[in-house]
Amino acid sequence: MSERASETAFRRMKDLPSTHLLGAGTATCAGCGGLQAIHEIYDVLGEKTIFVNAAGCMTLLSIYPFTPFRGSWLYTAMACAPAGAQGVRDALDILKDKGRIPAEEDLRVVVLTGDGAAYGMGLSSTSAAIDRDLDFLYICYDNEGYGNTGQQSSAGTPHAARTSTHRGALGYPGFKKDLFSIWAANRPAYVATVTGAEPVDLARKVEKAAAMRGPRLLIALSPCPTGWSYEPKDSVEIGRLAVETGVWPLKEYVDGRVVHTRRPRKRVPVEEYLRLQGRFAHLFEPERNDALLDEIQARVDAYWEAAD
Amino acid sequence: MSRRLLTGNGAAAWGARLSDADYVPAFPITPQTEIIETIGGWIGRGEWDARMVTLESEHSMVAAAGAAAATGVRVFTATSSQGLLHAMEMVYTVAGWRAPFVMVNVSRGVSAPITLGSDHTDVMAARDSGFLQIHCSTCQEVVDSVLLAYRVGEDARVRLPVLVNLDGFHLSFTREPVEVPDIEAARGFLPAFDPGELRFLASKPVSQAVAVLGGGPYSYFRYETHLAAQNAVAVYDEAASDFEARFGRSHPAVEAYRSEDADVVFYMIGSFATKAKDAVDRLRDAGQAVGLVRPRLLRPYPVESIRALLAGKRGVAVIDQNLSLGKGGVLHAELASALYGCPDAPRTLASFVGGLGGREIAAEEFYEMARVTREAAESGRTPEPRLLYTEDELRELRKLQGIAVAERHDTGAE
Amino acid sequence: MKTASRILGSAFFREGFEVQDAPRYGAERRGAPIFAYVRAAREPIHERGVITRPDLVVVADDSLVSVAAAGVLVGASARTVMLICSNDDAAVWRERLGLDGPVFTLACEPAPDDEVRFLGAASAGAASRFTGVIGRESLEHAIREELQDLRPEAVERNVGEGLTAFDEMEAHAGCLSEGTIRSAEAYEDPNWVELPFEGVEISAPDIHGAATSVQVRTGLWRTMRPVIDYDRCNRCSWICTTFCPDSAIHADADRTPRIDYDNCKGCLVCVAVCPPHAIAAVPEQVAVAADSEEAST
Repeated sequence: MSERASETAFRRMKDLPSTHLLGAGTATCAGCGGLQAIHEIYDVLGEKTIFVNAAGCMTLLSIYPFTPFRGSWLYTAMACAPAGAQGVRDALDILKDKGRIPAEEDLRVVVLTGDGAAYGMGLSSTSAAIDRDLDFLYICYDNEGYGNTGQQSSAGTPHAARTSTHRGALGYPGFKKDLFSIWAANRPAYVATVTGAEPVDLARKVEKAAAMRGPRLLIALSPCPTGWSYEPKDSVEIGRLAVETGVWPLKEYVDGRVVHTRRPRKRVPVEEYLRLQGRFAHLFEPERNDALLDEIQARVDAYWEAAD
Repeated sequence: MSRRLLTGNGAAAWGARLSDADYVPAFPITPQTEIIETIGGWIGRGEWDARMVTLESEHSMVAAAGAAAATGVRVFTATSSQGLLHAMEMVYTVAGWRAPFVMVNVSRGVSAPITLGSDHTDVMAARDSGFLQIHCSTCQEVVDSVLLAYRVGEDARVRLPVLVNLDGFHLSFTREPVEVPDIEAARGFLPAFDPGELRFLASKPVSQAVAVLGGGPYSYFRYETHLAAQNAVAVYDEAASDFEARFGRSHPAVEAYRSEDADVVFYMIGSFATKAKDAVDRLRDAGQAVGLVRPRLLRPYPVESIRALLAGKRGVAVIDQNLSLGKGGVLHAELASALYGCPDAPRTLASFVGGLGGREIAAEEFYEMARVTREAAESGRTPEPRLLYTEDELRELRKLQGIAVAERHDTGAE
Repeated sequence: MKTASRILGSAFFREGFEVQDAPRYGAERRGAPIFAYVRAAREPIHERGVITRPDLVVVADDSLVSVAAAGVLVGASARTVMLICSNDDAAVWRERLGLDGPVFTLACEPAPDDEVRFLGAASAGAASRFTGVIGRESLEHAIREELQDLRPEAVERNVGEGLTAFDEMEAHAGCLSEGTIRSAEAYEDPNWVELPFEGVEISAPDIHGAATSVQVRTGLWRTMRPVIDYDRCNRCSWICTTFCPDSAIHADADRTPRIDYDNCKGCLVCVAVCPPHAIAAVPEQVAVAADSEEAST
């Protein structure tokens, strides 16, 4: 496996495609980090793909009669996109096995959900799909809140972020769920974290996942100008800082092991990442909340100490 | 064709097998479990070339069922009560996908309080979903109705999922003699599923079940689904005629039993309708012109047949084994809306709610309902809705209450 | 514009009017054009929903006015007052649009000390004056009420903008006229049709096609336009095309990037990520003006 994984078509940035499969003209916000990741992923997966979508921002990718996809799409509901994927995958296998469609009519089955579904309402159906060894790829665009409804707190919301349901001086009191570890604990074929701001790392992981069978799951940190309150042009900068500060570790789980695909040598202080986002402005204004900033930094440091 | 003893659950499983269903997403719930266990056994022993997958919930089960049907295979599934309610979001959703498949519901009362006894409140919750509904009164009807359901639901004029309903315990666990059609004969009646343009293929990209903006497109898609459901009245009649020609069994959309010359008619669905037939016979023995009208098809609602069969009757005793809390019996309200304004509509529609949560309906109660309805029709005064509940039942309940309340008081006193 | 509609609604309410104000939500997200409505009357308002025959149309983004798909002029008639936030003057707009009715403009340039002009408060201020029934105090109170979550400096600037616009439009006080109620005596037939049953190939909510979304002109969202300086562009071909969230930049065979302005939402991610800084952000109005100049020469 490690032999094959090194044979990547994406060694450097110039290897990335410069024409794109996903059609423009969708209703996502200007500067959407989620759409950025999805179009980068789609380029690697190719058009022989069916996206099975759960309720979230990307529900509105396909609005009658406009779709950005060159392949197929099925909108299900918030809790059950992996079950919808099960139905599609099983049906395609039945049709192939019974000789009713040729193999070249087969599609790659991809679940597409936000963090609201992935971390919360859809976790049960995802876990069950992994149990059943469903041959599918799960893409979670994680913008750390119920973005489609106005960025209320979700189980993906980071500690202290201000959301539309947590407006107080301390922001969201809970902690972002470690979905990567929860998924990995089910021992699927592959789990990885990515972000659209690191497209080569993303492309390699999608390429690797695409070559495997079984449950393969990706969490894409998706900077969200609307929900995180920053200028749309800063989406890439914020995604990069999430990686460089160590807030968003780029890693993968494969063959029972967790490997970090990027280890920031000298981690940038978390403050640099937080400061750019309005959702953390209350940590700096009207006065600095050193206690909370230190706590956030300490958690990131603790993660990397354990990882190193 | 062979005649054998089968439970309603066994008959449902046979219906699926004779329909050559490709795919069975499943989740267990009493009293439906025997259906999926039977199917699992057949598939496991290689007696039937289908694929079964066990989901983690009915919500996911219906999602998988709809998605597989939308991909172009024939799907069978089954549930009951809380399971149907848990799945309800997807029940509405997959009907909007226009994905045809068959789901058997084994009717059971809904929570709270949680119970295992049968009534029809569960399936009434799916009434407005876009699923067609066929209601069975015998185990024979169960196997035949599954075949009919695929034929109607998959028809290009319809393209909708279908619920086949049977009563928990009274049918699900009750063995009766059932004629099981030969597989070849069944295939003659039910050709292979042709998904047409609605399927997923690499060569034909399609985005299914997309969002719409604005009431114009939304109204169009919803109303087209309604028109498709209404088409199913005629499609059902065609299918039932063909079924009768092939198998010799008649399953009209609305069954009429000794109602032609009746002045008072029982109106109900489900397995207790056979008890009503007995009551009709005894009332006829006693010189009363009583009959039974029983819709098998509840969605689409066969309005024309119902109006024709009830035209000129003096009174109708509507027996609801369901309860819309704060309104009353659902069949009663639906019948009233169907008959309103018809010049020869029955003068009296009396509403009886009975058989909730597995409660029996005794022969004497049918006789009494006939009497009340006849007197109401004569006097012109429609009686208040009546819950079938006896003095004995209340006395027994009081004993239970005595214990339940006394315990609370005892604990509080300590 | 949602803020402007709420300021106007609150100001009417303070003057003793019955009011409805509402944004119209769609699938559009941040950066997409937004519509909001205000109704006011002395009597309780029973009308609901979208205003189909406006007495006043306020346009915050003048690039939308000429675009039919944006629907800015829908329902407007000769008696409809137009207020356009634009650096072109009213006469230009009257001619450009062939409008007979009253047209006013509010300059978009900010006050000397400010970075941007607060168009929401300013347009609500002008609109308040047009009504002839909203006083200066009510307007100020409404702005403070609606913007109370902002920082104090921002509230003061908005109040200043609103009152300045109110004062600027003094000559046009009361220029709005009230629309007439639709008569039940002689009305237009709604022309109902019998919806026919149609096959599921066309009557299900499905799209049998690929990438039809490119027909949606999300380029209308743009207020700033990314413009590539091809002399500075080093033809890396992948940075702007990959990072553009909307797939609105493609590279030609010779690696020259091309921006699809029909669909570019103007997020300016490309401007931020381009290593040789070859992409500039140009205000859309300036770019449009440059385009038309180029076309005419």
